[in-house]
Amino acid sequence: MEMVCAIIGSRASRAFLLVATLFMLLPALLSAQDFGARDRGNAPPAPPKTPREAAPKDLTGYWVSVVTELWRYRMLVPDKNDFQFVPLNPEGRKVAATWDPAKDQASGNECKSYAAPAIMQVPGRLHIYWQDDSTLRIDTDSGTQTRLFHFGGSQPQSDQPTWQGYSVASWEGDEHVDTRDGQGGPIQDASGKLIPGRVMHQADYLKVLTTHLRPGYLQKNGVPYSGNATLEEDFDTFPDSYSGNTWLTVTSVVTDPQYLIERLFTHAHFKKLPDNSGWDPTPCRANEPR
Amino acid sequence: MRSRKINWNMKALWFLPLLLLLPSRLALAQADILGEWSPRVYNDGMDIGDYTGIPLNDAGRLRAESWHPDQIDLPENMCRPHPIDIGLRVSVSQLRITPELDPDTKQQVGYRLHVAWQEPEQVIYTDGRPHPSPYAPHKWSGFSTGHWEGNTLVYTTDHLKEAYLTRTGVPRSSKSTVTTRIHRYGNYLNVTFIIDDPAYLTEPYIREYSWVYAPDQVIPPFPCEMTPDGTIVQAGTVPNYLPGKNDVLYDFATEYGIPHESALGGAETTYPEYIKKMKTMKVAPRTTTEHYKRAG
Repeated sequence: MEMVCAIIGSRASRAFLLVATLFMLLPALLSAQDFGARDRGNAPPAPPKTPREAAPKDLTGYWVSVVTELWRYRMLVPDKNDFQFVPLNPEGRKVAATWDPAKDQASGNECKSYAAPAIMQVPGRLHIYWQDDSTLRIDTDSGTQTRLFHFGGSQPQSDQPTWQGYSVASWEGDEHVDTRDGQGGPIQDASGKLIPGRVMHQADYLKVLTTHLRPGYLQKNGVPYSGNATLEEDFDTFPDSYSGNTWLTVTSVVTDPQYLIERLFTHAHFKKLPDNSGWDPTPCRANEPR
Repeated sequence: MRSRKINWNMKALWFLPLLLLLPSRLALAQADILGEWSPRVYNDGMDIGDYTGIPLNDAGRLRAESWHPDQIDLPENMCRPHPIDIGLRVSVSQLRITPELDPDTKQQVGYRLHVAWQEPEQVIYTDGRPHPSPYAPHKWSGFSTGHWEGNTLVYTTDHLKEAYLTRTGVPRSSKSTVTTRIHRYGNYLNVTFIIDDPAYLTEPYIREYSWVYAPDQVIPPFPCEMTPDGTIVQAGTVPNYLPGKNDVLYDFATEYGIPHESALGGAETTYPEYIKKMKTMKVAPRTTTEHYKRAG
């Protein structure tokens, strides 16, 4: 107690308390200054960054598939009824058993296996670039398809379903995450929705939600998804220090209550290329792997 | 004397406000990966002779071809755990991630992964400690150190024992280094492994798996007991195929209409261009319908 009194009473301690108080108030002062500046109009707020400017990672460039998973389903056209890794329900199995590639080709449905839920699994090359400041575009050489990722949550221009559907994109990584150490993860409400614990403003991957899909195939051999299907994809890119490669990974989650018992997870991996060498556009083909 | 002591304390106190600024900055670098996770794993690579998609070299292929399925029944292999990079792929892989605490200070020094089948565990140290000497013992789950890159926990594992890349004998050497990235996407957890193995692979081998958050999951104990030597496999023998003598090696390729050479892996086979090449290769008539043949 004697020591505490001595500290508080001394000149040095008064200076210390002043500095400590300033440090504690610093964030609030800076914040207030910021608001004040905005109110007074002295320093006009910077315009919000476009999605292109806000991109935490650069996905653009040419990429080539590296098929290390589900090889025989991707590098070959699998046999009819070979859907070992797809959680098909009985209705989905029935539809898969009717697959007829010649019929698809003849009826103009040869692109059924190049639609958004499958195209990242089709071996080939990607060209990713910004079509404009809020639209990221992916061209594929396999099937010569184009995917457009729309930032800003805008609604589709038309309700007409298409092979690539309508994709809404956002930079993610700032989920509401409960960070209580050792408590076994985030808290959820009765519907399974995360209850915010703390917001982390560190977007570092691209999330894409695709709807308005024209019914097609999850695999080349006619394993179906319906027009009710939705596709969630997470795109991430990172360097591999050992090999010097830059990887692009795409995790796809297909939800389809009509044909799937549960969500289908697939992964696709791409290696960055220095240029467009090897770019080999092909038309959609119902009976070819790419 | 007392006055001098107070002045010393005052100097120390000047740094306290600066310390107040530190924790918020450090905490921002982490996503919550702790808890119970239910696997969404697809066990491909289950057939003898299915090395598809693996950038295997000739030495790796030779080792893989010599593997006999009865090796699983040797006493020393019955309770042998998969290293965690394999175990998360090929086994019943419910996953639990918990903080790893220093036993003395109770400060978190990393993360501990626990997998259901055979209960392999892996500790990932994030406290900056160095890897041990190259001559230190190798373990099933090796030695791992990691750091956060944004919301991704990135860690490197070495000091691994020799093990398998698949359940059908494709080898991974003790010289391997595995780079792992754990990333949480909402309620999904993705783990990406990039395996570099100078002994058996010509290129990095990338694999990825997903889990769904499952707070109610209970991972049961996995008791395992070896049966005495000679109970299943004759004592003193190690089932194997000598080079060129594996009579079931091409059954997988034949069954699925794959050129025999293509089914045996290699970096070239993982790229789209290989599809064209396969069309020029010979495919055996598809006479086999028996899947996963275990020859005695």
